[in-house]
Amino acid sequence: MDHQARLLWFAREVLPHEGDVRHWLAGRIRGLTSCELDEVIQEAYARIWTVDVERIVSGRAYLFVTARHIVGEHVRRSRIVSIELVADFESLNIVDDEIGAFRRLSGQQELARLHAAIATLPPKCRQAFQLKKFEELSQREIAGRMGISESTVEKHLAKALRLLMEAMKAPQTGAEDDERGKRRFWGFG
Amino acid sequence: MTSVASVGSGDSDNAESRAAAWVIRSSEGPLTAEDQQALDAWLASDTRNLGAWVKAQAAWLDVDRLVALDTGTANEPVRVTKPLPWRKMAIAASVLFAVGVGFVAEDQLPGRIETARGEVRRVALDDGSTMFLNGDTLLQVRFSSGQRRIVLRRGEASFKVAHDAARPFVVEAGNVSARAVGTDFTVGKATDGDIAVTVAEGRVKVTDAERGAPRQLVLDRDEQFVAATIGPRRARLDPREVQRQQAWRSGQLVFRGQMLASAAAEVNRHATKPVVINDSSLGRAEFMGVFRVGDSRAFANAAAAAFNGEVSETPDAFVLARRQNSPSH
Repeated sequence: MDHQARLLWFAREVLPHEGDVRHWLAGRIRGLTSCELDEVIQEAYARIWTVDVERIVSGRAYLFVTARHIVGEHVRRSRIVSIELVADFESLNIVDDEIGAFRRLSGQQELARLHAAIATLPPKCRQAFQLKKFEELSQREIAGRMGISESTVEKHLAKALRLLMEAMKAPQTGAEDDERGKRRFWGFG
Repeated sequence: MTSVASVGSGDSDNAESRAAAWVIRSSEGPLTAEDQQALDAWLASDTRNLGAWVKAQAAWLDVDRLVALDTGTANEPVRVTKPLPWRKMAIAASVLFAVGVGFVAEDQLPGRIETARGEVRRVALDDGSTMFLNGDTLLQVRFSSGQRRIVLRRGEASFKVAHDAARPFVVEAGNVSARAVGTDFTVGKATDGDIAVTVAEGRVKVTDAERGAPRQLVLDRDEQFVAATIGPRRARLDPREVQRQQAWRSGQLVFRGQMLASAAAEVNRHATKPVVINDSSLGRAEFMGVFRVGDSRAFANAAAAAFNGEVSETPDAFVLARRQNSPSH
């Protein structure tokens, strides 16, 4: 796979699970700050990126397992570890519903999620983003249309992207309608 | 331009905002040597930066996939915010641009749409029609109050036309123009100059202005007109053949006994790495299969398996040849 194909794979197979894996870790490891979660996820992404992604069957399972591994390394490396943390980490080894329970959002649901995220962007930032992605204008053209400098356009776009990345930290809603309500054992069901 | 470090540290100086700033900086063209060096250094300084950078790139790229699904209904039109007084002139010009979509004179329309190889894009037009662009296609949308006009410059596109008797929908490709009121049809411009109009639903009036003598004909459902370099032809197709030819709209390529060479040509139009067949008798073999658009590797492997051939991958192609000493078909 070339770089772009790998990114598209990553966007399809790994990114949609970020919210769930964060939820999973935060629910089991007491006192995990959002900042530490960011670090675990970033580390996991870096590792997944460096393996041969064509051999990964389930991006979701791979992400969960990699994240667990990273937390484990942290536990082992730390010289002083609370008993609670060790117990919490053990709980990550319990196979549960959360790894298996996922229903991919439909394209329209994903699109609705994107629009919802766009709606929360500050006005100029949103406008620059829409001109870029929906009207496919160059940064120069956007600068001309909005009457601002190109470097300001760049700042708006970078901010828009960062806020969209931030929005990915929440578990996906919309896919949970039937799946989360039913209790499933061992992922068969 | 300001440095990316300062762009990224605008509000919160974390890896994700730096990563986002780098992705935007590199999305518009290659980085300067200086920027590239700074990016490399930043990535090398912490593996987590790499992770954030991968996320930012994937997220940015994935937006395009979602935008292609957008039919425009959920999306408010982009508005130009109130101009600063001293920029009045520039803004006046851009307001004209922004309101142009759909009802102002044609040259103000931003409607130039291009797809890359391997990309299939669905575009919703503001009259309610939908078009699908096949890979490596370039067209222009020029809507005015009296006519909905599309100019196909290259490639292939398929149109589901919303009914509007007052504004005919006309697709032009070279000398051929296809005019429809409410229907579903495809216009393709092959690299050899042949132009094909295929109707999946409804009725299309085709005008071929080739050699000064305009020819007009009306195509019904499942009919195809080809303005070929060797002379025009008209054919009634099997409905399944029409479906097959349009399978790319759903991201698939379907072959039902086409010659391997022409199947490969269809695959190559979508693939970043083409399939090359080094044997003309192999190229004439009849081939069946269903593939994902862009997956030339799977195609080459399937063809090799079907005809006892072998695939060798070079940096620019999958080369398909008969296995040595194999009996010829």
